[in-house]
Amino acid sequence: MASKQPSMFTNPVMRWVDERFPVTGLMKEHLTEYYAPKNFNFWYYFGSLALLVLVLQIVTGIFLTMNYKPDANYAFGSVEYIMRDVDYGWLIRYMHSTGASMFFVVVYLHMCRGLIYGSYRKPRELVWIFGCLIYLCLMAEAFFGYLLPWGQMSFWGAQVIVNLFAAVPFIGPDLAVWIRGDYSVGDATLNRFFAFHVIALPLVLLGLVAAHIIALHEVGSNNPDGVEIKQGPKGNRWSKDAPADGIPFHPYFTVKDIVGVVVFLMIFSAIVFFAPEMGGYFLEHNNFVPADPLKTPDHIAPVWYFTPFYSILRAIPPIFGSQFPGVIGMGLATLIFFALPWLDRGSVRSIRYRGTKWKTWFTIFIVCFLVLGYLGVKPTTVWGQFGDWASFLDTKDRATWIARLCTILYFAFFFLMPWYTATDKSKPVPSRITFGDKVAPAAGE
Amino acid sequence: MITKKILATALFALTSSFAFAAGGPEVKIVGTEASRVDAESLQRGARLFVNHCLNCHSAQFMRYNRLTDIKLTEDQIKQNLMFTTDKIGETMKSAISPKDAKEWFGAVPPDLSVMARSYTSERLAAYMRGFYRDDNRETGWNNIISPNIGMPHVLGELSGTQTMLQTVFKADGKDVKTDHDAETRARAAFIAAQTMSSFEHHVEKKDGKTEHSYIVKTLVPATDGKMTPQQYDIAIADLVNFMEFVAEPHKAKRIQIGILVMFLLTILLAAAIWLKKEYWKDVT
Repeated sequence: MASKQPSMFTNPVMRWVDERFPVTGLMKEHLTEYYAPKNFNFWYYFGSLALLVLVLQIVTGIFLTMNYKPDANYAFGSVEYIMRDVDYGWLIRYMHSTGASMFFVVVYLHMCRGLIYGSYRKPRELVWIFGCLIYLCLMAEAFFGYLLPWGQMSFWGAQVIVNLFAAVPFIGPDLAVWIRGDYSVGDATLNRFFAFHVIALPLVLLGLVAAHIIALHEVGSNNPDGVEIKQGPKGNRWSKDAPADGIPFHPYFTVKDIVGVVVFLMIFSAIVFFAPEMGGYFLEHNNFVPADPLKTPDHIAPVWYFTPFYSILRAIPPIFGSQFPGVIGMGLATLIFFALPWLDRGSVRSIRYRGTKWKTWFTIFIVCFLVLGYLGVKPTTVWGQFGDWASFLDTKDRATWIARLCTILYFAFFFLMPWYTATDKSKPVPSRITFGDKVAPAAGE
Repeated sequence: MITKKILATALFALTSSFAFAAGGPEVKIVGTEASRVDAESLQRGARLFVNHCLNCHSAQFMRYNRLTDIKLTEDQIKQNLMFTTDKIGETMKSAISPKDAKEWFGAVPPDLSVMARSYTSERLAAYMRGFYRDDNRETGWNNIISPNIGMPHVLGELSGTQTMLQTVFKADGKDVKTDHDAETRARAAFIAAQTMSSFEHHVEKKDGKTEHSYIVKTLVPATDGKMTPQQYDIAIADLVNFMEFVAEPHKAKRIQIGILVMFLLTILLAAAIWLKKEYWKDVT
């Protein structure tokens, strides 16, 4: 924590507060004297946008909670009540449902930024780990929240996911019952999912976000060049000790992020006001049918943001009739991100100076992730079947085989990383960041 | 030879994939009349809805007084549209009890409050035009969009009746080429159909062999109703417009506010860009 600093306020009330609580200290440390590299580009908007969406979700969530009823008999009706009879209830609900999907859009782009500029590399491992925890927490939050409207997809989606735990050997079935609080998804499940969604996970999420930002401000931000500005020359207009290539977060990046926020809000509003269902991807058609435990829908697909992992689950064939390998694969696909700082042995951070091996593997990874995501929303028959000649295969669905290939490549990107990054031919990294048309000479020249 | 086979398989895959895309039978809809979404259309739709649908179905989340949004007065609603209640704030309940309904149709007719959102308006419009006479069904009716559904054609008096012509193209799986041929011929028949028709692909396993059959169903007008086909199409378009309104009563308001919000955000964007440029002038 910052040591006692002379107050920045002239207002006597604020001075009084400042003597008892470090307002000045905190503002300087995190805003006016937090020096961020000046060469941030498009990819650097998504951190602040994620924070914005978090706030939007919490605020709209509070208002939804005022009218929602977590009861299997009333849940579906209470959502329709919000949509029809609550003043601007439709707006609050659409903001919340759109916000859920947009949270994932923003977070996926934010994570992608981390990958392309090597933001997870030493000394930012903890920033990355807190980020991965946030991502896991967010997936849990989305999963619990999706049950609440109590539509067919809510019900059967939860049924499918909870049944994954039943695939764990020995303790599985008991574990699933323990999670549901019943032998099938029911009122007890709805109640506990509500508790997790509105209080438990948001608390954890807020704590993790605070830790993510504190860790980031401790080590300082990375940048598109992957050059450590703290190791460069010192002294700028604001401080003689600050990195020469850093500028104060406030006001420079606050005003820049406002532009990002407004552009984001335009996209967000366009969805909320003109296409809240997003063609059935943000609000699924089947979820406007009340949950019916006796009627299984023809095609159960999770919401789009889970589909890459759902594809991996479906792609891995059962062993001895147990789905457990698929569950392990799916779990590993999300947890493997934690290991990234130690898997990457490249000599450079940023894609700008990486060699062809890394670039090739990264492209393969992104393509596989997208293909898996696409296949996850479609039935496995979407690309037809192999002919009868393929009777020796366990499934003739072409899509399943493509998903298997993508799954292997997805994991190969991570597991082969120590080798292809260590042997990759990197380009020379400049000694300082590139800004505008100024390019600094390579380090050591 | 092998390459030819692979090529044929690939082609087969390419064409058959469309049939699966919709998840169910692929349907061709001919000559639907769109009706403008205005108060008059919505009012005509409301009349059809309460006179025909509400006999068996409910719209339990839709309040009668919400119909003031489609430019009806409370008196008009009370006199012309309310048959099951006398309180204007009540929701739309069906005329028959769910218990009776279950006995008559085998299942409780689903609630229609958000039917336009779950079933989608396009399918709804096709569904209401997809009924045909079928003596194998208890109600005497079947539907090309939702085959073997329990609902009879309640608007049959208005639309007149249709019958269904079915052609089956079989592929026994012996040869990829003839299989492909059967599908091509079926698809050609489907494309050539002049009336509402559907294309189904069935796969059957027989003695270890896979049999593919392609079924093309076509609807043929049989008897005339009180309305001409064109009038009926407009009536259905009105009904679907109304059901869309029932499914999301605030839709019009939502779009209206949206336009205003987009306009204000555009102004804000200009201001934000200007502000950023001013501040960043001294960053070199």
